[in-house]
Amino acid sequence: MAAMRARHKIRAPRRGFSHAKTDDFDSIWEVLSVSLNEINTKNASSLSFEELYRHAYKIVLMMRGDDLYEKVTELEQSWLQTNVQKLITESISASLLRAQSSTDAQDQSSERREAGEKFLAALKDAWEDHQLCMGMVTDVMMYMVRQLTKNSDESSCSHLVQDRMIITAHSKPSIYVTCMALFRDSILRSSVRPESSLTITDMLKSTILFMISLERSGHMIERPLIRHCIQMLEGLYETSTEEESSKLYLTIFEPAFLEASKEFYQAEGQRLLQIGDATTFCRVATQRVAEERERCRYTLAVVSEPKVLDLLDEHLIRSNIEEVVNLAESGVRHMLDHDQLEGLQNVYLLNARVDRKKEALTNVLNKRIVEMGKEINKSSIVLPQAAAAAPSSEKDGKGEKRTEKGKDKEKPQNQQTVSAIRWVDDILALKTKFDGVWEKAFGSDQGLQSSIGASFSNFINMNSRSSEYLSLFFDENLKKGIKGKTENEVDVLLDNGIMMLRYIKDKDLFESYYKKHLSRRLLMKRSASMDAERQMISKMKMEVGNQFTQRIESMFKDMTVSEDLTANYKEHVARNGDPDQKPVDLEINVLTSTMWPMELMTNAKDGAVQLPCIYPKEIDILKSSFERFYLDKHSGRKLSWQASMGTADLRATFVRSTGKTQRYELNVSTYAMVILLLFNEIPDGEFLTYDAIKERSRIPDHDLTRNLQSLAVAPKTRVLKKDPMSKDVKPTDKFSFNHDFHSPFVKVRIGVVSGSANKVENQDQRKDTEKKMNDERGGSIEAALVRIMKQRKTLTHSQLMTETLSQLSARFVPDVNMIKRRIESLIDREYLERVGEEPPTYGYVA
Amino acid sequence: MMADEPTVLRKDQLEISLVEEKKLIKDGTIKDDNPLDLSEPFRELCNACRQGDLKVCQEKISEGVNVNARDPYDYTPLILASLCGHYETAQLLLESGALCERDTFQGERCLYNALNDRIRNLLLEYDYSKSTDPLQPLAAHITSLLVRESPVTADIVVTASDQSLHLHKFILAARSPYFRAKLAAAPESATWKLPSTIPPEAFGAAIKYLYFGEAPRDLRSGPGTGFTESETFAGVDRISKYLDIPSLPDSILESGDRRRARQRRNDEISKGRDQMDQWFQENVLGHKMVVETSKANEIQWSRNNAIFADVLLRADDLPDEEDIATGAAPAEGPKSTIFPCHRAMLLRSEFFQTMFSSTFREAYVKDQLTIIDVDCSPEVLEIVLAFLYTEKADFPLEVAVDVLFAADMLFIEKLKTKAAVVISTLGSAGMSQAEAAKTRGTTDEDDIDIYSIVRAAWLTRVQRLEEFAARYLAYRLEAHIDTLEFAELIQESASRIKARQETDSIEMLDDIRFYLGERFRLRFDEAGLDEMMEEDVQSHEDDTDEEEADNKLTEGVAALDVSKGTSDPEVEAPQEQGPEIRALDGALVVDEFSEDALNYEILLEKLDDLLERLNLEA
Repeated sequence: MAAMRARHKIRAPRRGFSHAKTDDFDSIWEVLSVSLNEINTKNASSLSFEELYRHAYKIVLMMRGDDLYEKVTELEQSWLQTNVQKLITESISASLLRAQSSTDAQDQSSERREAGEKFLAALKDAWEDHQLCMGMVTDVMMYMVRQLTKNSDESSCSHLVQDRMIITAHSKPSIYVTCMALFRDSILRSSVRPESSLTITDMLKSTILFMISLERSGHMIERPLIRHCIQMLEGLYETSTEEESSKLYLTIFEPAFLEASKEFYQAEGQRLLQIGDATTFCRVATQRVAEERERCRYTLAVVSEPKVLDLLDEHLIRSNIEEVVNLAESGVRHMLDHDQLEGLQNVYLLNARVDRKKEALTNVLNKRIVEMGKEINKSSIVLPQAAAAAPSSEKDGKGEKRTEKGKDKEKPQNQQTVSAIRWVDDILALKTKFDGVWEKAFGSDQGLQSSIGASFSNFINMNSRSSEYLSLFFDENLKKGIKGKTENEVDVLLDNGIMMLRYIKDKDLFESYYKKHLSRRLLMKRSASMDAERQMISKMKMEVGNQFTQRIESMFKDMTVSEDLTANYKEHVARNGDPDQKPVDLEINVLTSTMWPMELMTNAKDGAVQLPCIYPKEIDILKSSFERFYLDKHSGRKLSWQASMGTADLRATFVRSTGKTQRYELNVSTYAMVILLLFNEIPDGEFLTYDAIKERSRIPDHDLTRNLQSLAVAPKTRVLKKDPMSKDVKPTDKFSFNHDFHSPFVKVRIGVVSGSANKVENQDQRKDTEKKMNDERGGSIEAALVRIMKQRKTLTHSQLMTETLSQLSARFVPDVNMIKRRIESLIDREYLERVGEEPPTYGYVA
Repeated sequence: MMADEPTVLRKDQLEISLVEEKKLIKDGTIKDDNPLDLSEPFRELCNACRQGDLKVCQEKISEGVNVNARDPYDYTPLILASLCGHYETAQLLLESGALCERDTFQGERCLYNALNDRIRNLLLEYDYSKSTDPLQPLAAHITSLLVRESPVTADIVVTASDQSLHLHKFILAARSPYFRAKLAAAPESATWKLPSTIPPEAFGAAIKYLYFGEAPRDLRSGPGTGFTESETFAGVDRISKYLDIPSLPDSILESGDRRRARQRRNDEISKGRDQMDQWFQENVLGHKMVVETSKANEIQWSRNNAIFADVLLRADDLPDEEDIATGAAPAEGPKSTIFPCHRAMLLRSEFFQTMFSSTFREAYVKDQLTIIDVDCSPEVLEIVLAFLYTEKADFPLEVAVDVLFAADMLFIEKLKTKAAVVISTLGSAGMSQAEAAKTRGTTDEDDIDIYSIVRAAWLTRVQRLEEFAARYLAYRLEAHIDTLEFAELIQESASRIKARQETDSIEMLDDIRFYLGERFRLRFDEAGLDEMMEEDVQSHEDDTDEEEADNKLTEGVAALDVSKGTSDPEVEAPQEQGPEIRALDGALVVDEFSEDALNYEILLEKLDDLLERLNLEA
């Protein structure tokens, strides 16, 4: 029974589609076409979706879907061609056409603009209507669309799938796409006038470009209108497959827009250069960048943004930036000199757009820094020279006799120290200035930072005395400068100095100066704050490394050890010493000879053996007592006494001619003490000649002269009388105790003339230092060479050179010739050997 | 797509999870996914799955047999079907909700047992994580109504404290007894206020629950929301009592275990579906009107009606219908049936969605409801509506083709698939080998007009049906090969390809050849076939030498008739007893094979003749 029923019920409802009658199709299409025209004329709200859909559905079931597709396409095409196209053509006024052909459009710009806006508005409306209508048509034709275009891939049987794929591969583009293409063909590609070869697209293109050129020259334009027209171009494609790249916007409008932009910016670049003002250039260029960005975002399409900006960069900025930067009247140099941060920032931003290295800016910046640096270098030399202009002749005359130093000589020396410190201060001020510029105008750009640094380093190292100056700067500040400053201020000060240290290439030279200056500060107790000293060392350690500060640190260690030692010795004396004898207080510093700059103290002249100084009896006892005490504790060490670095407190009694006695406490150098104590042994009124003093005390000439000068010549501290009275000290001069010595203070400090203060070295000292430096460097180079060769066994000459240079660069910049000499020397001493000639190769001799 | 996951768990891991699962089931925390079923219908289903009998399977599933139950040997129907290699059967079971979940004992067992990769991949495709809960599309649609902006379908604004939601009266009425009562009293109200003490979070969760949404993972509370956590939960409690939805707090608090969450959610959805179904039956179907077609368009329904309908659908009785099924045709003229409906649910059809989103007449909501024609019979429209409102698609074979066409017209893919499934399974073409052998040549047993089915398949582009028909024809080719209708069909199939090339194939014919090959190859041992074929060709050539070409057709039919009489009982014997018979009685086997091979040859020959006659190349 079920079978019977089923046979009747199950059937395809609309059977016989293959022989559907043509008039059915025609009559249904008749109804449909009327409705579609209603849609086109925007009368759709009274139409029934269901009815239209049903009609289309029926046609498709008749297997006439393809015909329907064709018919719809035809209908829409004729609609566009007859109605819409006319509307658009009418919206194009004669004046717009004329403007199109004439080359110089600016004179009728307002007229053309109005006509253009009218045309764009008409086009925009037509497009929007078309989109809307086609949306509705597509909705109605939904079933057809699916039937003709969609792939039925419901299958599960793999062996059958492939055939179907082939069939559906040729499916049509969706009706919507086709109708959009119709708009492209029937409207955009039609000509504006029947006889004209000019198409609507051309018109659209030139009109929009005209609008843009108006906007670029500062007029307000209808942005949304243009945006809509651009969106239309973005919504249309060259092909029915609608690849991204075939958008009309990309194929038609964008190239023209880019071409126009290129021309515009080339001209703009020329125009701005002619104005010749860098500030204006930068301001305008920056503004243009912002304008183009905004234009692409709100008027045109975002895809064009990078492209047009590239053009702008290329034609407006890259080709002009160098010239702009170097403009004499208003370029970067001008800006730097006048602190025009905003201008600099614009330059920076523009340059950064076209060049990651910002070469143009970097070059001029570096040049300026070096110039200014040289200026500072020069003034640091000029200043003392100007001051020393007068005594310079005297100096020449004196030759190299260093012992002879008068008051005149001292003054320029002090001035030189001052100028050294000024030099550092100036550089720091310059650095601060450029740091400010860098931070505010250059956006803290890394590349520029290093380039600024390189420039500083460059000119700082041009000054051959930079290490010394810097060390003096520290010396000055650690002695006096930091008094009364807060911790933070000190920190900043030291940081600044350290920053300069970073720029100095010959760090070893700096180290030796620093040590020298430091040792004086320590031994003379001139440091304002030990905390600051320590801070300084830790900062240096961070900056340059452990190795660099090792010796400096051990100097500090010696000082603390010595304090303990002194205390211990005092205890020892109190316990064991002869209570009757008046004790002489001893405060002693035991220095490790390798860590301290001993050359400062020994003054060993040209290898001549210097006999130790003869101390007065009391002192000699004390000395041997301490030696016993010390060697007891540390056997095997050798103590050598450095009288030149010590000081002594004496209580001296002066008997006036009136018979009154006056006591003064004198603080003098150790040598001065020795000299003064000699006068204890001779009766009043007697005298001692220079030779006699020398003989009795064995004080070296150099020190003796200086001490006698300070005791007998310096006006406020004339404890001794000199005969004849003159500045210079001659071997035959006679000295006697001056009982008429007067001083407003009870405690009198008698300094040693010269030598004790840290000052700029004179030429000879410099030569000395350099020589020492070279010796030391030679050692370092040899050590490095041997280290490298020991590790690598054999190495070519060039490789060895590079490795050595890279190892040593942290401390100093070695001289290539020196390295070569050292290699030769090592070969001579059979540390190395030559193993090959081509290329030259060395081997390590174990 | 599943390649990056480990394909199977280790055996020990499975055993552990099995023990844990059993414990949980014993404790009553989770339901047994696969309860033991010893009933007779289930046994029949299992047998059908063993044999790949699609028809029986579909019948049993329609009867409501639990497809996820297990037999005394712990086999589920899905395991049986996949173990025995019945692809179509396994597919039917999966489409009917059979579970094959990764990381469960039964699921892994199913995967492990799959006879071949094709079935295994099918099982993996239906893993639960891909949400094969048959009700999920319905739930997802209703949830999406909460955020859908166009077309506007909401008809009431419900406010709790400062939060307002645009909602649908019919969903509220269907899901919440509170709203049902309140709205029955005041059906025209456009706004509704709930007590302002209810935290917005709790309110939102409750509404989401009513709209079949998944419970929020955690309710937002604490600083910024103005409510503490406990207040929010108290609010949930309160609103659940207020709106009379007692299971709400549980659904929010329940969390953690994935399986338990799924189970709860499935329960909630099916409960919700039942509510929707009840409401649909009572209101939509309860208010359907049958009027004379000529007066149908005069019906006026106010926008403010008791069942909150916002559109009327009209279906006309087919005038030329021979009323065998429905009884005597009314003499006074054609009738139309009007269903009051809700746009929100109709949106599930792409047809209606486009319609309501467009600017055509139907899109405007007026005071008097718009009547929309639907081009199908009232019976079919009712099926379509039932599917849209409740996801239920139970309909007999008789209307299946009509449903197929309606679903195709209205763009309801799921319903289309259902219709195709009904036709292809109840149409009994997916028969097992044994059955195919049995029914071979018995032309008068056909339930369906296969030619109409093919054309419907073409029109509605349902691949599955095309294949079904090809297979159907292949297994009964003797009965169809000589008919005029068959020739027409082949002709049509050929003409379906536009601008047909000389070398193009004819789909239908290729499919038939494929299944013909399958039909016979299944009966031969692969190795033996070639030899047989050679013999047969020779013997056949002998035949053809003697006979005239014109007589060939009748000769072939005669040969078939002869073979049928003798082979029928014998065919069943080897099927049941396996290869022993062959070994024992070689001569018989050879005879039977040669007969089959001969038939195969004749059929192929006839197909070629047909092509020649139609002037087609393939």
